[in-house]
Formats: sequence, C-alpha cells, structure tokens
Amino acid sequence: MTASMLEAKNLTVESRLADGCRLPVLSGISFALETGKVLGLVGESGAGKSMLGRTIAQLLPPGFSVSAGSLSFAGRDLVRMGAQARRQLLGREIAFIPQEPLGALNPVMTIGAQFGEHLSRLGIRAEKRRRDEAQVLLEAVHLPRAVQLLRQYPHELSGGMCQRVLIAMAFASRPKLVIADEPTTALDATIQARIIGLMGEMRDAYGAALVFITHDLRLAAKFCDEVMVLYAGRAVEKGETRDLLSAPLHPYTRCLQLAVPSLSAPDRDLFTLPGEMPGLARLAGLHGCRFARRCPNVGEICRNEEPKLSPVAPKREAACFRTEMTLDIKVPNQGIPAQPKLASPLLLVEALEKRYRSRRGLLARTELAAVDGVSFTVSENEFVGVVGESGSGKSTLAKLIIGLETPSSGRIELGGHDASDRSENARRRRLESAQMVFQDPQSALNPRRRVASIVTQVLEAAAPRLPASARQLRAEELLAEVGLSAELGARYPSQLSGGQKQRVNIARALCATPKLLIADEIVSGLDVSVQAQLIALLRRLRRELSFALLLISHDLAVVRKLCERVLVMWRGKIVEQGVTAEVFARPRHPYTRELIAAVPGE
Amino acid sequence: MRKRPMRKELSFLRSGRVTAGAILVGIVLICALFAPLLAPHDPQEQNLITTLTPPAWSTGGDPTYLLGTDSLGRDVLSRLLYGARVAMTVAVAASLGAMLIGATLAHLAGYFGGKVDWLIGRAVDVWMSFPPVVLSLVLMTGLGAGISSVILAIVLVDWTRFCRVLRAEVLVTRRQDYVAAARLVGFSHWRTLTREILPATMPLLITLFSIEMGIAVIVEAILSFVGMSVGANQSAWGQMIADARQTIYESGWNLVLPMLAIFVTVLGFNLLGDGLRRTLDPRLAQAREL
Amino acid sequence: MIVQVLGLFARRLLVAIPILFVVSALVFVVLRVLPVDPAAMSMPPNATKAEIEMKRQEMGLDRPLPEQYAIWLDKTVKGDLGSSIHFRRAVSSLIAETLPATVELALLAMLIAAALGFAGGLLLFHLRGTWRGEAADLGSTVLMSAPDFLWGLLFILAFGVLWPLLPFTGRLASSFARPVHTGFLLLDTLIEGRPDMFLDVVKHMLLPATALGLAFSVPIMRVLRSSLYEIDHADYIRQARLRGVSEGRILLRHALKNAVLPTLTLMGVQFGFLFGGTLLIEVIYSYPGLGNLMVDAVRNADLPIIQAVALAYAAVVLIINMIVDGLYLVLNPRLRTV
Repeated sequence: MTASMLEAKNLTVESRLADGCRLPVLSGISFALETGKVLGLVGESGAGKSMLGRTIAQLLPPGFSVSAGSLSFAGRDLVRMGAQARRQLLGREIAFIPQEPLGALNPVMTIGAQFGEHLSRLGIRAEKRRRDEAQVLLEAVHLPRAVQLLRQYPHELSGGMCQRVLIAMAFASRPKLVIADEPTTALDATIQARIIGLMGEMRDAYGAALVFITHDLRLAAKFCDEVMVLYAGRAVEKGETRDLLSAPLHPYTRCLQLAVPSLSAPDRDLFTLPGEMPGLARLAGLHGCRFARRCPNVGEICRNEEPKLSPVAPKREAACFRTEMTLDIKVPNQGIPAQPKLASPLLLVEALEKRYRSRRGLLARTELAAVDGVSFTVSENEFVGVVGESGSGKSTLAKLIIGLETPSSGRIELGGHDASDRSENARRRRLESAQMVFQDPQSALNPRRRVASIVTQVLEAAAPRLPASARQLRAEELLAEVGLSAELGARYPSQLSGGQKQRVNIARALCATPKLLIADEIVSGLDVSVQAQLIALLRRLRRELSFALLLISHDLAVVRKLCERVLVMWRGKIVEQGVTAEVFARPRHPYTRELIAAVPGE
Repeated sequence: MRKRPMRKELSFLRSGRVTAGAILVGIVLICALFAPLLAPHDPQEQNLITTLTPPAWSTGGDPTYLLGTDSLGRDVLSRLLYGARVAMTVAVAASLGAMLIGATLAHLAGYFGGKVDWLIGRAVDVWMSFPPVVLSLVLMTGLGAGISSVILAIVLVDWTRFCRVLRAEVLVTRRQDYVAAARLVGFSHWRTLTREILPATMPLLITLFSIEMGIAVIVEAILSFVGMSVGANQSAWGQMIADARQTIYESGWNLVLPMLAIFVTVLGFNLLGDGLRRTLDPRLAQAREL
Repeated sequence: MIVQVLGLFARRLLVAIPILFVVSALVFVVLRVLPVDPAAMSMPPNATKAEIEMKRQEMGLDRPLPEQYAIWLDKTVKGDLGSSIHFRRAVSSLIAETLPATVELALLAMLIAAALGFAGGLLLFHLRGTWRGEAADLGSTVLMSAPDFLWGLLFILAFGVLWPLLPFTGRLASSFARPVHTGFLLLDTLIEGRPDMFLDVVKHMLLPATALGLAFSVPIMRVLRSSLYEIDHADYIRQARLRGVSEGRILLRHALKNAVLPTLTLMGVQFGFLFGGTLLIEVIYSYPGLGNLMVDAVRNADLPIIQAVALAYAAVVLIINMIVDGLYLVLNPRLRTV
C-alpha cells in the first residue's frame, strides 16, 4: 500500500457565529488520497466542499476553525502547522487551480512578471532561465506563442487561456498535491472539456495527487478516480467513481443523478427533490440524518439517529440506514406533456441586426455585429430554446426582442404589432404581450422592495390606485403559482435562497400574464436540485397557463428538457435551427456538433 | 497582512460616530438658534477699556467675559455664538441648494446617459477646472458681499461634488437588472427614477449632504476671512480669525477659539457623515473622498 | 507607451482648450454683472462723471458684452492680458511673477500630501481590524475636519509665535537678493549655487506646504486604505497567497500596484482643491503668489487681474489633470491596449 499524499481523519471545521454558537461546516470527513489519483468532492453550494481547500491553505473565513480531527499532507500535520512552514509548502508542494481564471491573475502585472515571480520563488534565479522555463511550461499546456504571451497582460487573454497559464504555474513546481476548486465553472462548455483534458494530461505527466472540487456529477464522472459526495457538511457517500455513479448507495446521490437533464438518454422526467439543502443556520436544530427531510426513502430511524459513513460494499462507503432501497428511487412519471397545438405565430423576427460601434484610437472605428441577420418565428404556446456560448449574441437577441436595446436594422413583430416602434404606446403594447425573466436574480430583484411588492410591480404601473389588499391578494396568488408560500411575500430578496429568488423573478414576469416569456439563462448558476425544480415549475406553468417561452441557455440538456425547437447561435448568426430532438441527434453544423461533444458525460 | 477580526466590544466606535456627530452638530445648532438668549453680551458692543482680555480661567481674566474679549473689547463668547448662526444658516441653505442641483443633474446624467450625460459631464469638467475657492471668489466678486451671496456662491460651486459622486452611483444602480425589469413592467422613466434608483442612491445622498454641510462651514469661514461674507455689523468665525490674526502676538486665544468652533462643527458633520456611510451602506467606502 | 501617452495628451488638449474658452467666458460674464464700476474704482475719488465715462469708454466697458469678450479674447490669445487697474502694470508680468511661486508651493504640498497619504494609508491598512486601527481611523476623520487654513494658522501660532522655529512670511528672508531665472525659487537658488538661500526658501515654504499637505493627505490615505482593503479580497491576491508569495511582497508588489490607481484618480481631483487651498494659505503666510494677487484684485475690483488669475488657475489644474491621466495610463495596462 502506498502512503497517502493527503489524508483527512474525522476532519471537522466549525464556524462560530456572533452569538457564540458553533456550527459544523464540515463534520467528520475522512479520506486518503494517493499520488497520481484524483479525488472528486461533489456537492451543491453550501455543502462545504470548498472548506477543504481553505483548510489546507489556512485561508478559512473569519470565525471558522478546525475543531476536531486531522488533515495531513505527506505525513505532516496541516492543521497545527505554523504559518511559515505552510507558506513553504504552498506553491511548491501544494498547488491550487482557481475557479475564476480571469480574476486570479494580477491585472497590472504581465503574465511573464507573475510567472517569473513564481519561478524565482522556486529557486530559478537567472532571468533567462526563468523565461526559458516559463516557455517550456506554457507549451506544455498547449499555449502557442509563449514568448509573446509572457509580455501580455491578463485582460488580453481569454478565460480559457488564463486558466492554462494558471495550470502551467501550478505544475511548475512539480507539486505533490493539486487542489482544483471548480476550475471550469466560469468557462464555456467547449473550453471546459479541453481544460479537463489538459488537467488529466498534466496529472499523468507530473504524477500529482489531485483534489477536484465540483458541483457537477457528470464532470466528476469524467475526471475522478474516486468521488466523495457531500451534503450539508457531511460526506454521504464515497467510492470509486464508476461504481458510485453506476449504482449510487445514498439516496441523495441517486436523486442528484436523476435530477440532471441528459442530452442523449431517452427523454424522461427529472427527479425533483423537494425543499433545499439546510443552510448553516438551520443545521443547529437538526436531528437525525441531514437529508431525512428531503429523502424519498426516509424511515423512522432516519429522523432520530444520524447515520455514520460506513463501509457498505467493497471500497464503498455510505451514510444511510437504508442503502438497499436507494436504487428503487425512480422518477415519478408525470406523464409526457401533450404536444401543444401550435397556433398562429406570435413572434416574428426578420433579418435582425444589432451592431455596436467601438472606438479604437483617435479616428479608427470598428463595428461589431452582436446579432447579425437573425430570422425566426415563435408560435403561440411554443417553447423555443436559443443555445450558444458566451459572446454568441443570444442575450443581445433577448434584449432586442423585449425592447431593452434598439435594433440596427431588421424587423420584430410581436402579436401582430411592429415591436421596433419606439413610441410609448408601442412599448406598453409590447410589454402586455411579452415579459422577461432575468438571468441573475441577485441583480434583478430590488433589494429594497418586499417580495409581494416585487411580484406585483406590474400593477403599480398599470393601476396605481389599486387598494393594497387587492395587490396583496394578487401577490399571494402569484407566489402560490410559482410554489412559494404566502409568508415569503413580507420578506426582502436578501432573505431568500437562490432558487426562491428565481421563482420570485418568474412570478413578477407572470403577473402581466404575458403571451411570450423570454428567459435568459434562468437556471444557470443554480444547483442541480434547484434547477430540476425550476424546470418542473416551468413545465407545470405551461400546463396551467398558456404562454410561449424563448429560453436562452448555454446548457443543451436543459433546452432539450424544455423546448420543442432550438436555435443554435454562433457569432451573432443562427447556424442551425429545428426540432430539438432532431438537432441534437443529427447536428448538421460543425459548431452544433462541437457543442454537443463538449457536454460532459455524453 | 491578515489580522484577527475586530472584537465585538469595539463596534460602538462605529455606530458611536453617528451619535457623537449628532451631539456636536446639535450643540452648535442650539447655540445658533438660541444665540440671543445664550449670549451674555451684545456681540457688537465695543469696550475699548477691556480689550484683549484673556479667558476667565487664565490670569488677568474677567469673569464677565468668559472667553475673553477681542481687540475692540467685544465679548468673544457672544461673537462665537452669533457666528454659529451665520455658519449654520449657510451650511443648511447652501448644502440643500447644492444637493438639489447636483443630485438632479447626477440622476438625469446617469439614468439617461447619451447626450444628456455628455452635456452634464462637460459642465462638471468646466467647473472642476476651477479650484473651488477661486471660483467662489470670482462669484462673490460678481454677486457682491453678503450672506445670501455666500450661499448662492457655494451652491453654484459645490453642486459638482454631488453630481460627480452620485452620477457614478446612479450608473452602478442603472446597470442592475431590476431597473430594466421596472421598465419592462411598464414603469415610466419618472417612476423608475424615483422608485427604483433614488432609494438606492439615498444613503450616499444623505452622507454627501452631511459632509457638504461641513464644507459649507469652511467655505463661509474662508469668505468671511477675506471679508467677502457678512458685513462688519455681524459676527462670523472667519472674520474673527482675520481680526485675531492682527493681534496674534498679544492674544493666541482670540485666534484659537474661532478655529476651534470651526473645527468642532466640521468634525460633527464629518463624524455624522462617516457614521451614516458606515451604517447605511458599507459599499460606499470610497465615495466620501471623491 | 510614449506614443499612447502623447496621443492621450493630444486628445486631452482637444478637450482642455474648449474648456478654457468656456471658463474664460464664464468668468467674463460673472464679472460683468459686478455691482461696482471698475472705471470709477480706477479713478481718483474726485474725478468727475464725464471723466469716469471717458475712462469707461477707454476700457471698453460701454460696448455690448459679446463684443467686449471678443476683444478680450483676441488680446489674450495674442498674449496681452491687459493691464492692472490698481497696480498699473501689465497683468502678464504680474502673473509671470506670482504663478511660479504658487505652483512651487502647490507641488511641494502635493508631494507632502502624497508622502503622508501613502504612509498613512499603509499604516491604516496594516492596523485594520484591531482597536488601534479603529482609533487611527477615527483619528483620520478628526484630522480631516481641520481644513488647510486652520493648520496654517495653527502652525504660525505654534512654530512662529509660541516657539519661533520657522519664518512665516514671504518666500525669502529680506537679507537675500532674490535671484531671477525661472521664477521657481527652489530652482533659481540652485542655479545661483546658493545652498544657504535654497535652505531659506525651503524654510519659508515648510509651514505653508505642510499645512496644505497635511490637510490633503487625509483623503489620500483613506482612499488608499479602502482600495487596499478591497483588493485584499480580490481573487488574484488569494491566488498569490496560495502560491506561497510572502505577505510583504503581496502588499508591495501585488496589492499596492492596483490600489495606486484609484488613489491617483483621487489625487487628480484633490490637486484642484489643493491648488485652490494655496489661495488662503498665501494670504495667511503673506506669500507673494497668485492667491494674494487674486485677493488684492478682488478687494480692488481689478477685473483684468481677476480674469487672468482665474484663467491661470484653471490652466494649471487642467495641465496637472492631464499629467495625472498620463500617469494613470502608464500604470494601468488595461487602458493601454487598443
């Protein structure tokens, strides 16, 4: 048996709140990671997966500390290690790959200066040798023109390139341990696939042990040897990746798997876990299994006793009393929704163009077409998806249709009226038939308004004299529609969870009973279980109300789940459109093919 | 570089600023409002026999003149109290005016952008190329001396302070999706501005207002120092300083006391502004200095 | 990079020149609504109405405002700023005498402000989160409440009167003959090769420059502190820590380089305020600069001087802002790439 590079024994990290109360953020985590292996830490936001990396670097947030257990690196105790000794390890024997590559490089220093600083710390003193070494390392991460690159600043590079630079720096010292915290989350799918591939190469070439922190089960499946699933600060399941994902033993893992929409598997409903993972504050009063309140297999014992992570099968551990029932969890058949009758066209877009002018220097001007001659229609009650990567112009398209941007040329017809008319009357008419749900609920909800006031904002504009009671009634109605309890109406957005915010966001748009709903990335950035809930919500709303949806998303599987038709956008143009199932099964445009190939786990 | 978090017992230092500032401002305000009742003497009454008396507690002091007398034998305390009237009148009126103009233009510029923004931005550029003191002197030359001219001059100079800082804040708010969302649910521009943007910029507005009052007190002192503010038959702190400068070798107190009055008043407004900034919106850390 | 900076200067000049036009027009209009008659001011008190009227015509005050402005502008562009009513000298020579004195004082004050501001900002940042940091922060608010001229008066009282250490009137002791080269005395005394005189000039400037510098160092230190604080949470600082870069190096090489940018912007704005602050400081210290000239001119309603001095102030502020923008461009690579 080889000695483990990183070993945690019953590691517990606690947070001390202002009132002196202590809450475990990470409790009883144990694992041993060997050289050359990749351990995946998988969990939704708030599960505690980032705490491990922070514990290693001793960069825990204020008030957090390791209260029990041990964490050792190559036999050395990381918890009780002094700051100086730890700093000697960081960047030399332990390296980190960050989540936001663009932000992780100093904007006022050249790549060369930052790389050079790192190499000189590693003991390469001569300037020339540092440059040569950096060049070799950059070529190893497939960055061409390394010499030129070293003279550039981070803002002149794309996110993917920055991440390659950071990977090259991480492996420069031939570290024994590399911690990668969501290294691809901020990147486009096609880039994501390449970065994952690159990390695999580097691991093989340098033979480091790797901890891969992610929220994405499919990514973990692709890259990790072993996976540990975290839920509310506890490890609920651990095992070799293939075994664990082919036959999960913990109901949470199983439910997560069933909640992820797939691009290729037969079309099935998504499993919707009720509720949300308990946050830090709610953990205090919780008895029994932390997953019990959401578990479909919950039994009497689960509510009273907390299950320990224990071996269930060879090399498999799970923290569940009723593992034998896990694989019986099936998606309750909600019935395939009847194909809606497609009626007359609701939205007609013809040769739409949006050009932005950018000034370069004193005289030279360049024009950039964000949307470049786009034509399509959306019928009443039809759900249409728009897919593409960042910069493809899909968000600009949404803004043009709703009137937040003015088209440079082309025609938009909404419900039989010309929507490019800029008059105030035309604006009101357009807003009666179309509404928009914004991407980032944090920014889309006024933090100074209560939820009830936000969802009924339409009434404030249309009927300012409406009595407060009538407005309250409508608010409750809307909240019920999106599956929120009426008490939430009195809260402020900051008191809601991410999923709840997005529901409020949807409710506001529904208040005007629009015929067309434009939704910009409304499920991206949300956890898988919350995402599944929102998809279910949209499908239910479709049955109950009648509206068409233009769903803008970078996630092909989500589009496949919701939309009958799909438009693929690339550099401002629609390169392919058609019935969703057909486009994804038999893509014709090479870009569509590339997009599909980049989806992990297919 | 990393420090342990601040101990809880110290948080009063933060919230305490508002209280401390309010108390200081309150004291000055009371002095200003009730100057006729509080003043032991007529501030203009000269007594050429008892000139330059030191404060009552030092040797040679006269208990009837608590803070001593000036070179014309006028009671310093009474003059300070009446000076507070001038200072506070200017502070409140000038800051209100500057805020109204500055905030309105800032909101228009930040919200509508485009040509409106360009025009207002260039106007701010022109104004900012003048050092404020120089511009107010030029304006005072045109307007003539007097307290209402002082107020008008400060309004016409300092609206840019509000405009510059608030415009940036409006731009930040404008980029929030909830502002676009408000337009999409049918809000008019006016309603969007007043219901969605103004509440967000209000904390900064209040903070700036408090700080501007301190600035107005200083500017009034400067203008009365060079003899452009109130006439000789009224007392103002700057004027007292100018008078005391002539007798600096004979009586330091005469110089120090009005300086102290200015300092305490400005400190009160600054503490209030600083405390408000911290309690209303921690994000505004930088706004104050700009 | 030099090309880009020059390009920026060219663009800024294109903006600055119209601004100067507007500034001059503005001053012109404001001064023409004057309640006093400058013609009457320039005549002896026993002058007759007819004599004053003749003077008005001579000064061009009887013509319509736009015409007056056009005449003035035409002369100004040709370098003729008119002659002072009170001093009976060419305004341009008065400005040439006083402008260097004021610029010299302002630059030294800015240097002091920057030095104190950076030291204080680093200290405030270093002490953050401790009770000493809180106390220092409170102290900075207190410091901020004393404007420059209060410092000036306090210094005179403390170091001039109570404890006579330094001179507090004029630029140079009267025992020296004033050298005339550039008008900048710090430079001129060096050109003359007179270190004793140089020292005397420094002594004369020390109190007024420190008074100004002290007052304007507080905003600088506060902005530096808060930008350092903000940057301390940035991803790239975290990543540098994760690479094992030492804290001192992180502060000086990584954080400070970024924190300087907002501080520099602030210093550009503050320079305008500081430059205006010299006005009163000059009066207090009887320092023969633009400020004293301006105040005298205001008292005597000496329009040509007021007009020219106001323009001189604006021109210096615009030039300094241009230099600050150029520096910003040099220090911020994000602006440099086209």
